[in-house]
Amino acid sequence: MEQEQLYTVVGGRGTMTVFEIYIKTTPERLWEAITDGEMRKKYSFGVGVESDWTEGSGYKAAVPGVVDVSSGENVEVDPPRRLVQTFSAHWSEDVEREGTSRVTWEIEPVGSSCRLQVTHDQLGEAANNQLWGGWPMILSGLKTLLETGELLDTPGSLMYAKAESWG
Amino acid sequence: MISGVMDEVFKALADPTRRELLDELFREDGQSLGTLEARLPMSRFGVMKHLKVLEAAGLVTTRKRGREKLHFLNPVPIQQIHDRWVAKYAAPWASALGALKDELEEDM
Repeated sequence: MEQEQLYTVVGGRGTMTVFEIYIKTTPERLWEAITDGEMRKKYSFGVGVESDWTEGSGYKAAVPGVVDVSSGENVEVDPPRRLVQTFSAHWSEDVEREGTSRVTWEIEPVGSSCRLQVTHDQLGEAANNQLWGGWPMILSGLKTLLETGELLDTPGSLMYAKAESWG
Repeated sequence: MISGVMDEVFKALADPTRRELLDELFREDGQSLGTLEARLPMSRFGVMKHLKVLEAAGLVTTRKRGREKLHFLNPVPIQQIHDRWVAKYAAPWASALGALKDELEEDM
């Protein structure tokens, strides 16, 4: 049976989607939150990431023992400003068929805050919205974590807290 | 979300023309000023003015492609409104739907 989508995806249709959020933090802390596997789990639906974060190296994102979520190459690694990665999704056969897209993280300090722009592009025409639909929830959770130290419940985080919701 | 930022979001959304601009970007994301101007019954100045308000509220974000500036619908502030007022209702709902799904699938 097809996985029901329990949340509504808003915006970002086409081969390129762009998400932007302002977070009261330093570029260094933001970079750490993006590249540290344990921190990542806290706002990314339990999905951790492993990599040595050098240019040309690979990365793997997974809920260990439950599901492989994505993998790819670190195309550009310029801490604490810019990270460009290829993105291949693995959590279901549907998303697996979408092939490889690209995710660019850009951090720009603005006063005592940071502007984070995440661009998910090189998507296929009419790409499965599961590929990029989670970004607003993930970025909201990242902001809450860095600004308050707390975890943010979103429909995505609640849904994917259950192992069987994947795939 | 700090209240000043949220004020900007609600002010930006309070205008029907700006909501129409967001709808247009939802239909096709990543449009230039020229394209938006051609598609909406509005002057170039009008489109510019409204885009500026939407950008200030964080509802629209831009990226350059060559010499062109492309406008993208940024759903993150709407997500934050959702987090504040809707997510608390979604929690029991999501778990109830999950339980229903488990139950239905058991019978298959």
